[in-house]
Amino acid sequence: MKSTSDFPTINAKIPDGLKDDGSKYRVLLVDDSIFVKKQLQQILLSQDYEVVDSAGDGEEAIEKYKEHYPNIDLVTMDITMPKMDGITALEQIMAFDKNARVVMISALGKEELVKKALLSGAKNFIIKPLDRVKVLERLASVVRK
Amino acid sequence: MRVEYINPFVESAMSVLKSTVSENVKRGTPKLSTSINNIQGVAIIVGLAGQVSGRVVLDMSEETALNIASSMNGERLDSLDELVSATLTELGNMITGNAVTKLHELGFKFDLTPPALFAGSNLRLTDSKVEALVVPLELEEGSLCINVAIKENIYK
Repeated sequence: MKSTSDFPTINAKIPDGLKDDGSKYRVLLVDDSIFVKKQLQQILLSQDYEVVDSAGDGEEAIEKYKEHYPNIDLVTMDITMPKMDGITALEQIMAFDKNARVVMISALGKEELVKKALLSGAKNFIIKPLDRVKVLERLASVVRK
Repeated sequence: MRVEYINPFVESAMSVLKSTVSENVKRGTPKLSTSINNIQGVAIIVGLAGQVSGRVVLDMSEETALNIASSMNGERLDSLDELVSATLTELGNMITGNAVTKLHELGFKFDLTPPALFAGSNLRLTDSKVEALVVPLELEEGSLCINVAIKENIYK
């Protein structure tokens, strides 16, 4: 006799990080803080996203995006970083791939900054401190659009 | 020094500490400080520039710093290494970033410098001609002080 666990139930939630075909959404993490990278990585892995790579500044983010393109589904982008800020990196990634899905993550939520990011092509804007549930909701709404 | 500038930093510190470190944060009695402050061991400093200039310092003992970083990471951390520094500077970044966001909504325009962390014994902080307000905060991980010094710039 089969145990009940062999039967899928209608309540079993498919992890946010899985596409309909069962493959994982691939994410590039951009942040200059190893603490934030670690925190985001834990949040993403808990829902089966695949973290393909990470970058610590805007220039590196563009390089890594091009290196992994087109096998990349989502970028989480910090704003204040050395060498090149996240808004400039966002603009350059959008110029390279107009379908890029970039979500900004910043402790600074000034209205003009949020507007500028959204007008430059960011798909969402998350304000730190990171709340696991909210981060997952926002990211799922972006990748599933 | 206008209290409108100070409150958002203290409120933001309380709310960020509650959501990232521990639920129980108690606010002590604020005091004005006019010149020299002794630093307890670890200080995270963020500068402010624009319509106002000044700085915000989070000051705590090394033990408290390690306890806070451990709680934020969900694992015990025992030395002031790269992860602990990144965690504490991020704490400074979140507290000041959230406060500046609130102040912008109230019409005060200024920007932040990236946070810097200083550690050592026998450190002193001296401000020239800027009054600082020091607010002690108590949590399970230990106590820390948020020290805010701001002056308005005459030019707009």
